[in-house]
Amino acid sequence: MSKIARVSLPNAVAYRGGQPMIAWLLHRISAIGIVVFVSMHIWAAFFLYAVAGTTGGVAEALTEFYEALPMQVFVLFCILYHAINGLRIVILDMWPSLYRYNREAMWVQWAIFLPLFLLPAALMILGGS
Amino acid sequence: MRVRVKIRRFNPEQDRRPYWATYTVDAEPTDRVLDLLVQIKSYQDGTLTFRRSCAHGVCGSDAVVINGRNRLACKELVQDVGRSIQIEALRGLPVIKDLVVDMEPFFRQYRSILPFLINDEPAPYDERLQSPEARARYDDTTKCILCAACTTSCPSYWASSDYVGPAAIVQAHRFIFDDRDRGAQARLAILAEGTGVWRCHTIYNCTEACPRGIQVTQAIGEVKKAITTGEIR
Ligand code: FES
Repeated sequence: MSKIARVSLPNAVAYRGGQPMIAWLLHRISAIGIVVFVSMHIWAAFFLYAVAGTTGGVAEALTEFYEALPMQVFVLFCILYHAINGLRIVILDMWPSLYRYNREAMWVQWAIFLPLFLLPAALMILGGS
Repeated sequence: MRVRVKIRRFNPEQDRRPYWATYTVDAEPTDRVLDLLVQIKSYQDGTLTFRRSCAHGVCGSDAVVINGRNRLACKELVQDVGRSIQIEALRGLPVIKDLVVDMEPFFRQYRSILPFLINDEPAPYDERLQSPEARARYDDTTKCILCAACTTSCPSYWASSDYVGPAAIVQAHRFIFDDRDRGAQARLAILAEGTGVWRCHTIYNCTEACPRGIQVTQAIGEVKKAITTGEIR
C-alpha cells in the first residue's frame, strides 16, 4: 500500500473546481509574471551599470524584450488581475459573512477588471502600430 | 439508457500503476452512480472495490471523483452526470484498492483539532441550556458527515497533506462558535500554526464539493478572523 499520495500537476489541473479555482490559478500565474518582469528590470539595470561596457548587449536585449508590446500587455494583465483579485479576497477576509456571495463578487470583479484592462490594452495596441 | 462507466482501478498487489477500465451498464436516468457501481460489481466484475454503507448520503463512505468533481456516489443521479461517467478515487489520500482510499491521515487531522465539547464547569442537573440564537450560530458546520470530499478537493491539501484541511476546520468551527464550549482558544492556537487555516487560499473547491451544502470556505474565513481579531462572534 502506497503511503504517499502525491497529486501530480496534470491530475490536479484536471479537477473541475470552477471559476474560483481558475481565479486562484490566474492569481498565481500573474504573480509569477510580475516577479519575472521586475527581476528582468533589475537584471537589465545591473548589467547596464554594474558591468558597464562589457555587457551592454545583454541589458539591451532584456530591455527590448520587456518593452515589446506583447510583454507590456501581459504585464498590464498580470498587475491588474493580481490587484483586483487580491482585493476581492481581502474584502471577503474582512467580512466573512460575504463569503457565500462569492459568485456575485466574481462578477463584480470581472466588471471592474475588463474595462480597466481592455481599454488601455486596445490603446497600446492601436497606438503602437 | 446505456451508460458508459470508466473507472480508474488500482490493485497495489498486482498493478504497477492505476489504469482505466470501461464498463457498459443499462441504467435508469433516476439511478444513482452508486447503483451503477453495485451493478458492475454484482454482474460484470466482482473484483471492483468501493466503499458504501448507508447509500443515502448520511454516512459519508462513498465520496469519489465523478467526472472530475468530488461527489457522493449515492447522491449523484445518472441524469445529472450524463451517459459517459468517469469515476476515480479521491485525490490526496493513499489508494488501498480501486475507489477505496486510506482515511487514516484524514481522521488523524480531524482528531488533532479536539473535536469534542470541552467544558470543566460542573454540568447542571439536567442539561447545558443554549438559546436558539446561540445554536444557530454554528448550525451550518454541524452538518458535516466526514466524507472527506472537501479536504481532498483542496489544492493546498494536494500540495501538502500536513495541512489539517477544510473538514477538520469545519469541525473545529462547530465547537469554537458553540457558547457551551470552553476550548476555543486551544483550537484557535492549533489552527494558527503553519499547518492550519493560513494554508487556505480561498479556492472554494471545498464549498463546491460539500454534499451537505456547508459554506466551508466561509467557516474557514470565520476561523481566520477569530484568530486575527481574538474575538469569537
Ligand atoms: S453510502 Fe453513506 S453517504 Fe453514500
